[in-house]
Amino acid sequence: MDISVGAWLLCLFSLMIAFSVPIAVAIALSSLLVMFMVLPVQVASVTAGQKLVTGVDSFSLLAIPFFVLAGNIMNSGGIAERLVNFAKLLVGRMPGSIAHVNILSNMLFGAVSGSAVAAAAAVGKTVAPQFEKDGYDKSFATAVNVASCPTGLLIPPSNSLIVFSVVSGGTSVAALFVAGYVPGILMGLSCMIVAYFIARKRGYGSQADSCPSLKVALRVVWQAIPSLGLIVVVIGGIIGGVFTATEGACIAVLYSFCLSLCYRSLSMSDMWIICKETAEITGIMLFLVGASSIMSWAMAFTGLPSIISDWMLSVSDNPIIIFIMMNIILLIIGMFMDLTPALLIFTPIFMPIALQLGMHPIHFAMMIVFNLCIGIATPPVGTALFVGCSVSGARIERVIRAILPFCAVLIGTLMLITYVPWLSLFLPRMFGLIN
Amino acid sequence: MLSFLKKFRACLDQLLLSFCGVIIILLVAAVSWQVFSRYILNNPSTFTDEISRFMMIWLGLLGASFLFGKNGHLAITLLADSLSPKMYVALQIVIGILVIAFAYLAMINGGIALMGRTMFQISPALRIPMGYVYGILPLSALLICIYVVLNIIDLLFPQHPAEALNNNSSEEK
Repeated sequence: MDISVGAWLLCLFSLMIAFSVPIAVAIALSSLLVMFMVLPVQVASVTAGQKLVTGVDSFSLLAIPFFVLAGNIMNSGGIAERLVNFAKLLVGRMPGSIAHVNILSNMLFGAVSGSAVAAAAAVGKTVAPQFEKDGYDKSFATAVNVASCPTGLLIPPSNSLIVFSVVSGGTSVAALFVAGYVPGILMGLSCMIVAYFIARKRGYGSQADSCPSLKVALRVVWQAIPSLGLIVVVIGGIIGGVFTATEGACIAVLYSFCLSLCYRSLSMSDMWIICKETAEITGIMLFLVGASSIMSWAMAFTGLPSIISDWMLSVSDNPIIIFIMMNIILLIIGMFMDLTPALLIFTPIFMPIALQLGMHPIHFAMMIVFNLCIGIATPPVGTALFVGCSVSGARIERVIRAILPFCAVLIGTLMLITYVPWLSLFLPRMFGLIN
Repeated sequence: MLSFLKKFRACLDQLLLSFCGVIIILLVAAVSWQVFSRYILNNPSTFTDEISRFMMIWLGLLGASFLFGKNGHLAITLLADSLSPKMYVALQIVIGILVIAFAYLAMINGGIALMGRTMFQISPALRIPMGYVYGILPLSALLICIYVVLNIIDLLFPQHPAEALNNNSSEEK
């Protein structure tokens, strides 16, 4: 197909996005219009309708509503609070203690649920009063929460990695999950380093809490064990091949449901509300996935990915430069677009180039998800940023300034992830999930 | 008239959300059954995989139609937020027309043709015509159109002056 059709696709799509058309509609409609240019109207409409359905007709995708549901149950089921207490026990006596507690809680919450926004809301709500008590600047406190909440998108279970698995044509979810630990933990550590230096400079949290007695410590651990047990059961089961990611997600729902029943923190009517909320989030995600499967069909049809890859490879055939270019493009896209749509649109475009340059699909997944994670914490459009600010009540403009040092260090870590494949690949290799 | 539309929307919202909520519970039940039958009964069920995929397709599209009513879909609203109220309404109407255009072309026009073609294509495990599964396309497209029209009516005839502002802020999600 000639270049002009591919160019039309890009132009129409960017135009609609700029004019605030919902992203899913912009994706689907621009692809449909481009298909009209080359196909008979009836054929194009039937194909678009069919892709919308077959795009979501995947058992793996079913893990998304389940992990969202499990996350929502944990969010309101008293699990976040217990994880925060546990984190406090571990890192509560370093300079900037509560900042580290916040970061570690986000990581722990990410290790039991699959959503960054749920973590930002649940953990942010729990730690906000403590930040205030210890005299932290509100915008710094919010920045800590916002910058570290995307760790949950890398640390399994992760909805983003499931989306990647589906859009990349069936990369193993188990391998992706195992691979996500190291980049996720590195992201958390980067935030901790920044928080440590800023807290030391400003003298936050220097009045160390007294060491908790053994009895208190044991009680906190005891309370956190059931929540952390979720990691062993669900992730262990998925990695060990006992069940698929979707079945594991379903077990996570039942597990967190039983836990909330035991904690008596959830009534049946709460449960019904949570189901309906989950239906809404699922609707957003699945419609996006369906719409982007229309787009990837249209893109394959117009040959856009190969045009873009020819262009990138004509600039340079040095992998180091190509990966830098990809990362810069993705960082810019991530500033404006939410993670899921960006992942759906850019995986089919960039992945063939990366594979051609010898990148492993799992390594590519870590790079793109890590990159776009930075985007959800940065303005002008950052879901985590908006949620974090609304939870803590800080002003967005001030948080933006406070979050810059975090972003700088995270971009440094991103470079590490990009150029050291070993970081992403050694764990799945160790478990024999990839060769 | 406007209060009737408001009631109509509330009923539709309630109906759709309850239906989606029930699907979610059924999905959990179906996949739990799949694990249970494999490990406890040693007799893996053959139909749960398919039925849960079909339910998820319905859930996704019905949930998506509901969200068009709430303006809940992800959008980059930098431009829309900076417009004057009048221009904002105009832009929303244009967006509404684009949404309806897509719903009509791909989901009603394409969907009905697709149903016709797949009525005799039987799904492997459940033995139901695939046309029923694709039936969700025209159904959810109809719901999307209804919601978009309702939204536009709300924008053109705000019942309280504050309502237009409310719509504005709910967009930011």
